[in-house]
Amino acid sequence: MRMLIVDDSNMIRTRISRIVSNGKLGHIALVGLARNGVEALRIAKASQPDVITMDLTMPEMDGLPCIQAIMKILPQTNILVVSALDDKATAIQALKLGARGFVGKPFSDDELQLALLDLMEK
Amino acid sequence: MASISESELRLFVDSVKNYFSVTTRQEPQVTSAYLGSVNMQGHEFNGLVSFSGSYNGHVIVSMPARMVRELLLLQHETNLHEDNLLDAVGEVANTLAGNARKQLGAGLEISVPLKFQGHLNDGQGARARLRQRPFVITLRWNHHSALVCVDLESAH
Repeated sequence: MRMLIVDDSNMIRTRISRIVSNGKLGHIALVGLARNGVEALRIAKASQPDVITMDLTMPEMDGLPCIQAIMKILPQTNILVVSALDDKATAIQALKLGARGFVGKPFSDDELQLALLDLMEK
Repeated sequence: MASISESELRLFVDSVKNYFSVTTRQEPQVTSAYLGSVNMQGHEFNGLVSFSGSYNGHVIVSMPARMVRELLLLQHETNLHEDNLLDAVGEVANTLAGNARKQLGAGLEISVPLKFQGHLNDGQGARARLRQRPFVITLRWNHHSALVCVDLESAH
């Protein structure tokens, strides 16, 4: 399983990396860490990840247009939105664009692990 | 334009409590909530998120360095350089602002966080942006004091 982590916060990128590297989710190879949608799109094109965790509010390119762009080129990618914008309208919009799950911030390690397990089983 | 109500202010109190409870399993104590002034000092590390759309204004999270370091250590983060402390306090502000949208409505637009080091009354951005009497919520967590400044008004 190849994973890309997208978030403008280093603290969150590092934390998600640690959670997915603890072995409980099986073998996950991190293909990249992106700080915004532009970087995410570039890394996704080059390394074709199976799973992406995607923040929404980011500089340069937000998460929603990034999801839309990734879905056009890699429609099989499983995208889990991890965002503080956890209102219903935003979640529905993200799912309509092709995201397959949503975790609100703040999140516990267990919450994120369960959401990723659920996503990988889909 | 109207100032925010007590229940809207309460959103931020609940949100900051929830942030620390979920990420560190230690709920902070809210020690006071009052109408502050643009001259408030705050702490060394600050994250500011601007609102536009249905509400205008800012939310600022202000924390001392030792508190941000502990927050990072409890998340097993070992990079405690100043850049990472700024990143962390910006992310806290971003989370509080994002969570508020659930209650304040999707018409609320939220900026990416602006992060800065230095006291709020140093004139580095925050002071110039604040109205005369912003709401201030002070809290205590793990023996450290911090504050959340909510300077927000409804656009209607």
